[in-house]
Amino acid sequence: MTQTQPSSNLTAHSPVPFTAERGTLGNLLMLLVPPLVLFGMFILLYAMVRANLEPHRQFLMPSGYELWDKAFGLSDVRWELLTRSLTTLGIALAGLCISIPVGILLGVIMFRATILERAMFPNIVAFQSIPTLAIIPLIQTALGFGTLPKVLIVAKFTMFAIPITLLLGLKSVDRGIINLFRLQGASWRTTLVKACFPSAAPALFAGLRIAASLAVISAIVSELFFLAGRGGLGQMIINSKIDFKYEQMYAALMTATFLSVCVYIAFTWLGHWLFSDWHESGGKET
Amino acid sequence: MTLQAVPQPPDRTGGRTGDASSPAGLPIAGNDVALSFENISMQFPDGTQALEDVSLTIRKGEFVSIVGPSGCGKSTLLKIASGLFPQTSGIVKVDRSQLGYTFQDATLLPWRKVLGNVELLMELRGFSPEERRRIAMEQISLVGLDGFAEHYPKRLSGGMRMRASLARSLALNPSVFMFDEPFGALDEITRERLNDELVSLFMRNGFSGLFITHSISEAVYLSSKVVVMSRRPGQILEVFDIPFAYPRDPELRYTPEFATLCSEVSVSLRNAIEN
Ligand SMILES: Nc1ncnc2c1ncn2[C@@H]1O[C@H](COP(=O)(O)OP(=O)(O)OP(=O)(O)O)[C@@H](O)[C@H]1O
Ligand SMILES: [Mg+2]
Repeated sequence: MTQTQPSSNLTAHSPVPFTAERGTLGNLLMLLVPPLVLFGMFILLYAMVRANLEPHRQFLMPSGYELWDKAFGLSDVRWELLTRSLTTLGIALAGLCISIPVGILLGVIMFRATILERAMFPNIVAFQSIPTLAIIPLIQTALGFGTLPKVLIVAKFTMFAIPITLLLGLKSVDRGIINLFRLQGASWRTTLVKACFPSAAPALFAGLRIAASLAVISAIVSELFFLAGRGGLGQMIINSKIDFKYEQMYAALMTATFLSVCVYIAFTWLGHWLFSDWHESGGKET
Repeated sequence: MTLQAVPQPPDRTGGRTGDASSPAGLPIAGNDVALSFENISMQFPDGTQALEDVSLTIRKGEFVSIVGPSGCGKSTLLKIASGLFPQTSGIVKVDRSQLGYTFQDATLLPWRKVLGNVELLMELRGFSPEERRRIAMEQISLVGLDGFAEHYPKRLSGGMRMRASLARSLALNPSVFMFDEPFGALDEITRERLNDELVSLFMRNGFSGLFITHSISEAVYLSSKVVVMSRRPGQILEVFDIPFAYPRDPELRYTPEFATLCSEVSVSLRNAIEN
């Protein structure tokens, strides 16, 4: 046993493509599998819950047939869902229209000087930590029951992530790039606009996506407490509970989720469209 | 401050007088100082002593290279000249409005295409958009990046990024130009080709150059003077005059005289590292 066969560790490797080639079938699977898995899990959960409910409590979890028959199938319910969605979406977007500029402004102010950051950061954290539900009576007393308090609640919910992510992005700008601007005698504003903002934009967009995902939810939460006037999906949820129309309540819930996902996807696409050409997170490999 | 468009013929020509140590054919004549360091010492706030009593003068039209062990303070010297760090003691004399530089890394803005990057410095200096574009396109083709103007830096090779960075600095047509290892990331053949291009740029634009490199043959080939620095804290150990006439012939690299000079610099650098 002195002479053993020299063992060879050579193995053949085929080339590794940049992104694994998917082909038509692969693309189709990519498109279909995630929603199917999601939907399958949903159905499974639903069936489990429904199977365990006593018959007289099964109204808590209406069947798909009932959902169609008493909610989605009726044109006036569909119309109500649509108009209420628009109301809720309006509140959510109005809230973002406040929180995004304010958040960006706060981020820039904190970036301007460390002392301002030290002074403001704890306040932002404290503001975020105020339990919104606990101050709703106060808001009602101060601002009444109109649209404004709802918009402000959305703004409060969605603001936090924006200055935090923007500040992180602004602080991570390549020193070399800053030096380049400094050596040309560029002003702070020019440097901010031409170097810091573009560089921080992908980080900011991560914050915007968080904000977007919270916007619809917080709009609905706000509606639960401000029922005056023609409200959105939140009001529909409460009304249908009062009227024992649980099918419509589920319909409103599902629409709200759908709306929330849509807003999130819109911001994700916007970010991808803006940055995929140059940023590592963009995903384009070549 | 002159902001003429490049390329342009050297307008600072004239018969070189007086200075025996300079090689023939330098694009600019005279003994005026372009950049001088007088007794520069540098200690960083964390206590690192990077430079100690460095004195070096670069006259107009000269091309000076610095070689020295890694970490000896070469980049620090350039940063002091550009004004990024204040030196601890000593004096720098230079017209900073006329100063161009390439950093050790290309520092391109990743969100701008090559064209936008090359336009950047002109933009900051307030050039008009048409002028910016025209000059940028000229510089891009000068450094051999034709066809890459619309590419993002992410899609360029290391050497191409460096050339884009070079084009960006060239666009301002500086009269004093500092290079921090611009060709460090390149293969020998590409490096030699770019060296030839740099010499012709030097002849054509007539700047004064300060060039940092780890390649002795590159230093000797490009320069009218090669400075050898010691280990940290950096001091100037030896200065070699390179007598070969400009513009330099690529074949120069294969001559015995060239080899002799390279080995002299090499011995000096070896001593710098080992002592
Ligand atoms: N900002 C800084 N703070 C503290 N120390 C620094 C700083 N920048 C550089 N140094 C130190 O100064 C010394 C010289 O650095 P420098 O970058 O000038 O070296 P170098 O000669 O350019 O080296 P290389 O050839 O590797 O580029 C190093 O020891 C480095 O650690
Ligand atoms: Mg260096």
